[in-house]
Amino acid sequence: MIGHEWAVELLQSHIAHKRIKHAYLFTGPPGVGRRTLALHFSQAINCTQPLKPGIPCGECRTCRQFEHMQHADLSLVQASEIGGTLKVEQIREVQRAISLSPYEAKYRIALFLRFDEANINASNALLKVLEEPPASTILLLTAETPESLLPTIVSRCEILRLRPLSFETLSAGLQNMASIPKDNANFLAHISQGRPGTALTLYKDPSLLERRQEILDLHFHLLRADTIERFNYIKTRYTKKRENFRIEFIDNLQVWQSVWRDVLLFQTKSTESIINIDHNETIHNIAAKMTIEKSLKFISDLDKSIQYLDHYSNLRLTLEVLIMDMPHISF
Amino acid sequence: MSQSLYNKWRPKTWDEVIGQDHIIQTLKNAVAGERVVHAYLFAGPRGTGKTSTARLLAKAVNCLDEDPAKRPCNACDHCEAINAGRFLDLIEIDAASNTSVDDVRDLRDKINFTPNQGRYKVYIIDEVHMLSTAAFNALLKTLEEPPPHAIFILATTEVHKIPATVLSRCQRHEFRRIPVRDIVQQLERMVKAENLDVEEETLPFLARQATGSLRDAISLLDQLASTEGKITLAGAQAILGTATGETVIQLMESLLEGDTASGMERIHQALDAGSDPRQFARQIVDYMRGLLLILSGNADQINATGEVRSRMAAHALKVEPRIIIRMLQIFNRAASEARYAWQPALPLEMAFVESVMLFNQEEVTLIEKKEAAKDKENEARLPKKSNQTLVSNEKGVPAKKEKPIIETDPLPENIKKNWDEIRSKTRAYDPITQALLNSCKPLGIYHGELILAFVSDVLRVKMEQGKHIENTSEALQEVIGETISIRCITTASERSRIPDGVDQDGMVATAVRDLGAEVVDSQ
Repeated sequence: MIGHEWAVELLQSHIAHKRIKHAYLFTGPPGVGRRTLALHFSQAINCTQPLKPGIPCGECRTCRQFEHMQHADLSLVQASEIGGTLKVEQIREVQRAISLSPYEAKYRIALFLRFDEANINASNALLKVLEEPPASTILLLTAETPESLLPTIVSRCEILRLRPLSFETLSAGLQNMASIPKDNANFLAHISQGRPGTALTLYKDPSLLERRQEILDLHFHLLRADTIERFNYIKTRYTKKRENFRIEFIDNLQVWQSVWRDVLLFQTKSTESIINIDHNETIHNIAAKMTIEKSLKFISDLDKSIQYLDHYSNLRLTLEVLIMDMPHISF
Repeated sequence: MSQSLYNKWRPKTWDEVIGQDHIIQTLKNAVAGERVVHAYLFAGPRGTGKTSTARLLAKAVNCLDEDPAKRPCNACDHCEAINAGRFLDLIEIDAASNTSVDDVRDLRDKINFTPNQGRYKVYIIDEVHMLSTAAFNALLKTLEEPPPHAIFILATTEVHKIPATVLSRCQRHEFRRIPVRDIVQQLERMVKAENLDVEEETLPFLARQATGSLRDAISLLDQLASTEGKITLAGAQAILGTATGETVIQLMESLLEGDTASGMERIHQALDAGSDPRQFARQIVDYMRGLLLILSGNADQINATGEVRSRMAAHALKVEPRIIIRMLQIFNRAASEARYAWQPALPLEMAFVESVMLFNQEEVTLIEKKEAAKDKENEARLPKKSNQTLVSNEKGVPAKKEKPIIETDPLPENIKKNWDEIRSKTRAYDPITQALLNSCKPLGIYHGELILAFVSDVLRVKMEQGKHIENTSEALQEVIGETISIRCITTASERSRIPDGVDQDGMVATAVRDLGAEVVDSQ
């Protein structure tokens, strides 16, 4: 694990003092390490030859099977795709599975990923079993925020709120654990916004970095462009319709929003936690041309658009409204 | 695996139920007087004791103790069986997992059998709000007149989802949020019994965080108890992601000095140290509520030490209540928004910057007001002089006049007169041409070309594409008998057409500039 020492220590002391709870909720932004921590925890409580109580060996069959989410006593429940819906049938299925005693491990683990994607029926169906699960069963949930779940779900779990790491911690972690050169590690720490999972994904797949660069260039270009060109852009983008169009655009808008958060930070002269450090100068120039009011407004405009897209609004209309309100800047 | 504290400490007697005296008293009397009805509905927020009370009632009606007033005795076979969760006539149904009408039909089929061991068959239907409409309706007849040996207890957190026909068949009991004081007392009892070492201020802190839900409070205590050593306030704050009181005050200081840079730095420091941004925002809301209480003369209601209170009082003097309320709303939004999960700090940062701007702006207007008041005084003293300066000011600044891009020769009379006709002629070629001509103005002749002025690029480009220019020349030819080539331009004065007070980059401005709209009225 990179970072989250406090959470790791907490879980280890639960194991060491034999005070493991029946339900844990791991929250935090995607890529921060929720699933990794949950899997580590499953390894730690089930490992056949732990180095110390609470520290898995990582080598025995059980540990390896958990690492790859293939263990017979691990029930994995998640929506069929990111941004999809977790349905009540899946909960019922897992309820049947966990009513059996563990096959070989000490505890049966039910891992519910991205539980904020569960619909209302699914959440409610989990309530009773979450309160008093069968013996030797541990329920692990991950979600973005506790607030995105039913309060009745949250109050039945022990919550571990994972936070983005500080840039220094993440950078050091990347250097030590993944032996990434220092400069690159620093850069990744910033643009992943302190999320180790995201940083590693970016490192492993350089095409993602290229894509990010494209999105940024495009945004800078559109900021300079006049309205006609902006409309044309949407028109051309729209003609080639693709599967994950909506998700892709949400992704784009989030990158745009990260730029504007940086603009806001420049304007308020607190530049230490800038995300897009590779575009420092451009962002600085934008910041100089804008007022804080306008930055704030555009950030919330972006946010509204993301929200609309999340709720399946008309994609083209949403984007057109957004770019009409987008500030015109020459920088 | 250890049993979680909230399961371990589920009440086993009436007296152990906390904060719901109004319900417990009624149920106790019903049991003592043997006047238990056949259907109950327990409604209330999470963690207030619904399921626990339902089990208690089930135990009480089946208890073997001879004196009804002493039931449940927790000593007889039946009580023990229920406590151990192996009593056959206590049937607990998870309505959220068994939502369908078939589940209810199954229940209906079995309910007519007499109880196996006890006096009553007790059906506890938990999370009952999740039953489907058909399931609710299938239940109605049974719920109204169940066999004499059956008792229904429905429990839910969302009573508004229960059909009225079900509500009217049940005796309804509303569970209340549990007061902080009662939660603290209960936690103290548990701390003693569990042999935990707890710092003094921790329990009230946990109780406040639980917002009236005893289960939440016990969960938090449980979480803290799992770690080694003494349970401290700092530890509790770390687990909850709460910032220290000092951080909150410092941030407020930055805010009231209008200093964004230092405030942002403080936010980032706090977040790096482990505060949860949303929790932080909530704390600021709390603090501002304190300021409002001071300003309205209710300082004694604030839960804080004397020193903090005096600093709050100093802060309260710096702002008007009106502004505090608005800032409070801004931070409240940041605290309650479930969005932005991928960039957790952003809402808090935005709320802070917005508040600082609001504060600065208000302060400026205050200063302006004061100056204006001073000016008025001066005016009163020297009325003539100020009048003169006013007049000279008006003259000194000449009205700005936009220059057209091209100096054109005036429009020939024949075109000017027949412009309407020309426009309507184009309709025969293409209605869009006419529409485009309607939104432009013939400026005049320049180097032998007729200049058409459009107010926006969008329209001009549209005109230049396709056959619109051709159509217009032909219409011209028809009406005035001359061939004149046509050129389209965009007038530069568009910006000036945007009235004052309209955001230059906003929606209205875009409509005016690019789509040729006109501001008629503003409301």
